[in-house]
Amino acid sequence: MQRTVARAAPAPSPRWSVRTASITGLVTVLAAALAVGSVAVPPGEVIGAVARGLQGRLDGAADVIVWQVRAPRVLLAAVTGAALALAGTAYQAVFRNPLADPYLLGAASGAGFGAALALVHGATWAWLGALGVGGAAFAVAVATVVTVVLLARRGGRLPIVSLILAGVVLGSSLSAATSFVMLADRERTAGVLAWLLGSFAFAGWRDVAMLTACLVLAVPAAMAARRAFDLLLLGETSARQLGLPVERFKWTVVLGATLLTAAAVSVAGVIGFVGLIVPHAVRLAVGPEHRELVPLSVLWGAAFMVAADLVARTALSPAELPVGIVTALVGGPFFLALLRGGREAW
Amino acid sequence: MKHPRDHRTYARSLVSRAVARGWLALIVLTFAFAFAQGPVVDDLGREVVLEAVPQRIVAMVPTHTETVCALGACDRLVGVDTFSNVPARVSRLPDLGSAFDADLEALIALEPDLVLTDEYSGLAEALAPLGIPVYAGTPQTVAEVWRTTEALATLLGLESEAALLVGRTQGRVEALAASVAGLPTPRVFVELDATPYSVGPGSYLGELLTLAGADNIVPAGLGDFPQVDPELVVAEDPEVVILLDAPFGESAETVAARPGWGAIAALRGGAVIELDQAGVDLLTRAGPRLADALELLIGLLEGERR
Repeated sequence: MQRTVARAAPAPSPRWSVRTASITGLVTVLAAALAVGSVAVPPGEVIGAVARGLQGRLDGAADVIVWQVRAPRVLLAAVTGAALALAGTAYQAVFRNPLADPYLLGAASGAGFGAALALVHGATWAWLGALGVGGAAFAVAVATVVTVVLLARRGGRLPIVSLILAGVVLGSSLSAATSFVMLADRERTAGVLAWLLGSFAFAGWRDVAMLTACLVLAVPAAMAARRAFDLLLLGETSARQLGLPVERFKWTVVLGATLLTAAAVSVAGVIGFVGLIVPHAVRLAVGPEHRELVPLSVLWGAAFMVAADLVARTALSPAELPVGIVTALVGGPFFLALLRGGREAW
Repeated sequence: MKHPRDHRTYARSLVSRAVARGWLALIVLTFAFAFAQGPVVDDLGREVVLEAVPQRIVAMVPTHTETVCALGACDRLVGVDTFSNVPARVSRLPDLGSAFDADLEALIALEPDLVLTDEYSGLAEALAPLGIPVYAGTPQTVAEVWRTTEALATLLGLESEAALLVGRTQGRVEALAASVAGLPTPRVFVELDATPYSVGPGSYLGELLTLAGADNIVPAGLGDFPQVDPELVVAEDPEVVILLDAPFGESAETVAARPGWGAIAALRGGAVIELDQAGVDLLTRAGPRLADALELLIGLLEGERR
């Protein structure tokens, strides 16, 4: 059978204008976040400090503030937002569920439990202390999701419903365990709570480098899988008939997205909402195709998180708001506005 | 019962003994400092290294603020955390937030040559790579109050001031403890919040209760800050209830309204003590006002010793 495919003329593509606008937006937000802080540093000084920081010779308190406090904080917010939005996109594609987010399979409650254990017992249990808070959070988060996957497995298959149920139930149990560990030692309760709410306040360059390395692996992998994600939109049966090894693909994506989520959570704490709404916002703007959805989610996730952290540290300066509160308070209405004005996405 | 004059003589001898012990402590400590000027290691197990005697100090925990000022170095403080309010003059210093959400930029802009903070918030770990010397640790027991005072004094180059301060405070504590020795020990329940959380005998406040001649109804096996079963309180029937959560709205009425609590001795003619925020701060901040805290506790229990 012969088919003729109608091709649109290569018009000045709206796709590129959206990408250009997104990159410009991200750069603008990054610059603004680097320029503004609780200590006023003139823009010229900021540029000078970055230049001196790149050469590794800092000079004075302003340089330290811009290069060792503000810059890693801003960049960590960017890579965390990107990682969570990307993981959210992948989860939503696999689960074909608008409520799916990176924490669906218990990564957040696992990380919280690991961090609470390390914060409370790190001094007495040497191996836990050696792992550190971030290491313990990462390890327990990954272990939790792997347990969920193993519990949900039926023969060689991975039914979505049992995955979600196992994730929710194990997640609730771990949250309860976290509360128990936290309340057993009141002295450290504030520390655990602060970690659970998520923050970029004490970010360092090492965290930025680690998470950037994860993204360098994850973004190309997600781009390579964009067609498979699109196929899954048709439903698992259709995707299988079209030649996608659905079960293996689901395993790989769940594992990859979990590692990325766990890495993000281990450096920034549990920051909600970003992994849920950023992919939706992009879908409302450009539609469900993953060729657009993946890169734009990464860019928008980064920009949104940097902006949210900027609000978190300037709104009540010198006091800080937990950034997770800002993502939900500011992001929620913004998303609802998009939802009213946008197209049907699911 | 002793004859009043005997009692006075006894008290006087106690005071002179306390003074003598204070001086002895001073002499011993001075020698200890002179010969064993070891490195200061904080509660995170890290050695605190200073290039010079610090002149621009930031204190991110109220107890450190109080200690620095008690050592006579209040004018070296350039910034404090949001909860530091004693002595009153520190309220004029820049407010850097709490240790848990410190304003790092403003802190660095002050160019401190020593930051005193806690061991849990992560602030020490954030500051160390920036080359700012940090001492991370807070006293959790009476013994740790002395140790922390001496550690800070070594860092500040005020060893003899610390010996004097510690000696004087220990002398007052011994005299106060001796003043209630042999007196009846009322059963006391201390409430940190309405959940209800309380303090075990191993905690700082638990130790103060013991020194004040009180019988803490919370057994040691429950830990330092246990959430206790309300049944335990009813069963132990405390004669005194001290409400550290009174600033948050708890009172004799709200306690009496709890099921079964209306019948406990404290509400049947004993005492339910509603502390104000200043009193709560005094009792919960392990620091140089330790003897004042003990004196407050002893005063609160005075009417209940029978």
